[in-house]
Amino acid sequence: MTEKLVVTNKGFVRADFSFWVGLYMDKFYDSFENKKIIGNKCSKCGKVFVPPRKKCGKCNETIPLDNNWVNLPNTGTLLNYTITHYKVSDRAARKAKKPQIIGMVQIDGSDTAIVYRLLNIDIENVKIGMKLKIEWEEKPKGNPADIKGFVQV
Amino acid sequence: MDKVGIVGFYQVKLYSDANYGRYEMIFEAVRGAIDSAGLKKKDITTAISCTNDYYDGRTISNCYTVEVGGGYMADESKVEMDGAHAVLYGLMRILSGNHKLSLVWGGSMASCFPYHAARLYETDPTWERPVAYVNDITAAGFQMRAYLEKYGVSIEDIAKIAVKNRKNASRNPLALQEAQNANITVKDVLDSEIYADPVTELMVAQPCDGVAALLLAPEKQALKITDNPVWITGVGYNQETYYLGDRDLTKSMSMELAGKMAFDAAGIKDPKKEIDLAEFFEAYAHEEVIFSEALGLVDMGEGTNLNSEIDGDIPINPSGGAIGGNPPCGTGLIRIIEAAKQLKGEADGYQVKDAKKAIASGQIGMCAQNNIVYILEGGN
Repeated sequence: MTEKLVVTNKGFVRADFSFWVGLYMDKFYDSFENKKIIGNKCSKCGKVFVPPRKKCGKCNETIPLDNNWVNLPNTGTLLNYTITHYKVSDRAARKAKKPQIIGMVQIDGSDTAIVYRLLNIDIENVKIGMKLKIEWEEKPKGNPADIKGFVQV
Repeated sequence: MDKVGIVGFYQVKLYSDANYGRYEMIFEAVRGAIDSAGLKKKDITTAISCTNDYYDGRTISNCYTVEVGGGYMADESKVEMDGAHAVLYGLMRILSGNHKLSLVWGGSMASCFPYHAARLYETDPTWERPVAYVNDITAAGFQMRAYLEKYGVSIEDIAKIAVKNRKNASRNPLALQEAQNANITVKDVLDSEIYADPVTELMVAQPCDGVAALLLAPEKQALKITDNPVWITGVGYNQETYYLGDRDLTKSMSMELAGKMAFDAAGIKDPKKEIDLAEFFEAYAHEEVIFSEALGLVDMGEGTNLNSEIDGDIPINPSGGAIGGNPPCGTGLIRIIEAAKQLKGEADGYQVKDAKKAIASGQIGMCAQNNIVYILEGGN
């Protein structure tokens, strides 16, 4: 829209949306406040989910809210990674100062992977299968940003 | 299923920054499709559009496309996925027996908004979105690495797919000019900017401006309109779970199941032998490989060894595919149109010889979470 640019709409309406995370995620984030990570388990197939959820899609089984919780350690394995110079939230314009390594990490004792940054690890040393542990924010607030990222064990 | 005829279509030239507005572009495509069939607006009994409120920058975005999109004082509805999904809606309306001619159009203008940043809005707002590590590009980086690791395939082998599609696009006059790279080399692809390692810029189907439209009619009606319709003889669709960490990214289970459903409907037993060409919506070069394997066009892990050139064993994306230009909401629809052109023998400059049966696919979601597959057959 280079020379033809006519109208640019930049935030003259502010309509923020607040999401209620639901009962399962509420419990999950409560445990973040104590720097602990928890998952929940399907009674049928035994799969442990992080983040926890109400339904195992494969078994079509409801996971009850009041039990099936599993306490998990702060450690995990790197299953996959990617490296990007861009800020994911604004690829068009802004580059991060340093390339970020973003990893898919399987928390020990769970069957799924979560996506976070890898911290203090040089690009040449990243290896699928490496052992990692969670780096928690000093004062967790009970939200996804409480996990700063993963560091090498 | 009863076969449904494709009786007309039109695609506008794709631009990274088009010199006209989206409504003019929609009108060009819709009018073009109606003219190509020698029909009038009044012949359309139902119109289905595919746009996305976020990409259009307004809610209920089809309320502004009424006149140009064939919806004025008419039966009109919208799909907010890929254009190929809108075709399914149009197809169902024909198969319901209530409609004689259905118009389907889709597309948008990616030049108006930061497409990849917008894809962050697809992520879970209660978990992944606040920390912002996942969008379509980082997800693609994960998937490509997962595939390379599992089968010991090299980055060069994936880059070759991008080279093939960009060379094919150079023979397709409607492809995006930036993707028409007749003399591109594997080195050019590898040396292009890293988007999310190992995915580089030239492996990405660049979001652009464009709209396409097609017309569907039941068998009897189709034969009244044209002597040379292309038939949709099968369709299948499927999707997998949302979280990337729950999925096996080395393959596409949803594409495999969608393919089975479509092959069953069309009575195809051995796709390797029966399919003459495929037009995939490959948002990234490696997806083309994963899709070919999922659909059984080649054995698992062997996707990069398939000769998929225009004169190869099974030509894939002879038009250049989505890498030849990716107007959000229009790309899958364009795949169907391109496959139809091949079956009609109208793909000037990139025609596959003796093309009788083709696959066309559309997708939506991170790492193609949802896939839709069509079987198209030509000749009367």
